[in-house]
Amino acid sequence: MSMLYGFLVLTVFFIAGEVLRVLLALPVSGGVIGMILLTLLLMVRGSISASLAGASQALISVLVLLIMPGVVGVFFVADEFAGQWLAIGVALAVGTLLSVLTTLWLMQRLSGPEDGGHE
Amino acid sequence: MSELSGRLQELLGLLSTSPALAIVLTFGAFFAGNRTFRLLKQPVWLPPILISAMLVGGMIAILRIDYAEYREGSQWLTVLLGPATVALGVPLYQQMHHIRALWRPILFTLPVAATMAAVYAVVIAAALGASEEVLASLAPKSVTAPIAIGITEQLGGSVSLMMGGLLITGMLATLFVDLIAGWLSITDHRILGFALGLNGHALGTARAFEIGPTAGAFASLGMGLTGVFTAMILPLVFHLGAR
Repeated sequence: MSMLYGFLVLTVFFIAGEVLRVLLALPVSGGVIGMILLTLLLMVRGSISASLAGASQALISVLVLLIMPGVVGVFFVADEFAGQWLAIGVALAVGTLLSVLTTLWLMQRLSGPEDGGHE
Repeated sequence: MSELSGRLQELLGLLSTSPALAIVLTFGAFFAGNRTFRLLKQPVWLPPILISAMLVGGMIAILRIDYAEYREGSQWLTVLLGPATVALGVPLYQQMHHIRALWRPILFTLPVAATMAAVYAVVIAAALGASEEVLASLAPKSVTAPIAIGITEQLGGSVSLMMGGLLITGMLATLFVDLIAGWLSITDHRILGFALGLNGHALGTARAFEIGPTAGAFASLGMGLTGVFTAMILPLVFHLGAR
């Protein structure tokens, strides 16, 4: 039962996000606006109820299930993007290499060598 | 014999229009994918989502179900994506205190690296002559799937292509973080985790939890912050760039 209450809270935040998105003509999805609202509210309150934590955990653990219909589609778009697969492949491979390099280099540069962080 | 095959046709038509078959296929593939992943000792190059998606793809090809029909049958799963996206705020809140330990590098690296993750891919693809739809599908490649779906729809990309790009990015980011961290001799678990979450979303975060709980926490933080930042900035940047 309490899990359902957490799900209700999540859905209310989603609807609130959708309302804000439409009313303010924001170029961001309602889910993300709801997520930001929820994070801010939790930070202000400084605590989280067990039902909300449980419902979030449950939904996140089945995220793979929720995105599956979209992922399956990738096997059926081969013709649609014919002739662009080389560009897509190079952009993904080189782009990811460069962005990982950028992240690690910046983080290393900016966090001095004085503190460790090992376990 | 022909009567039986006629009935089989009728049955298949009936099943493919009701959501029940789509549910059985998706849930079945979900469990089979997770089990296969564990049996194979959790290989980084073959995440459970890829196994499951290949199983569903194979099954609907064998059963001669149209992808559009499957998509329609599984529509109600997609409805849950909204609340699931909101749910990502909970781990973000729970990991937020880690920022204090490393706030300067994180607050400076995040906007630069999250923006460049999109810019590198879009610029390279554009230089190689990719269409605008492809660029819009590649831009959110480092963002966690539920948020990336919203971004792609805003930008006018293809959700299916974006999902493929997301999977490949997650796998490559995991590989490259290992390689480049070795090359730069970075051993700080907080930095490794943050880089994995920022570049490799959920797949990178899963890898970070294998490194250790600290890396996992910083990966969750990196993934959440990248998602929020990219969702807010990308629609603006992309529309400026398209003009």
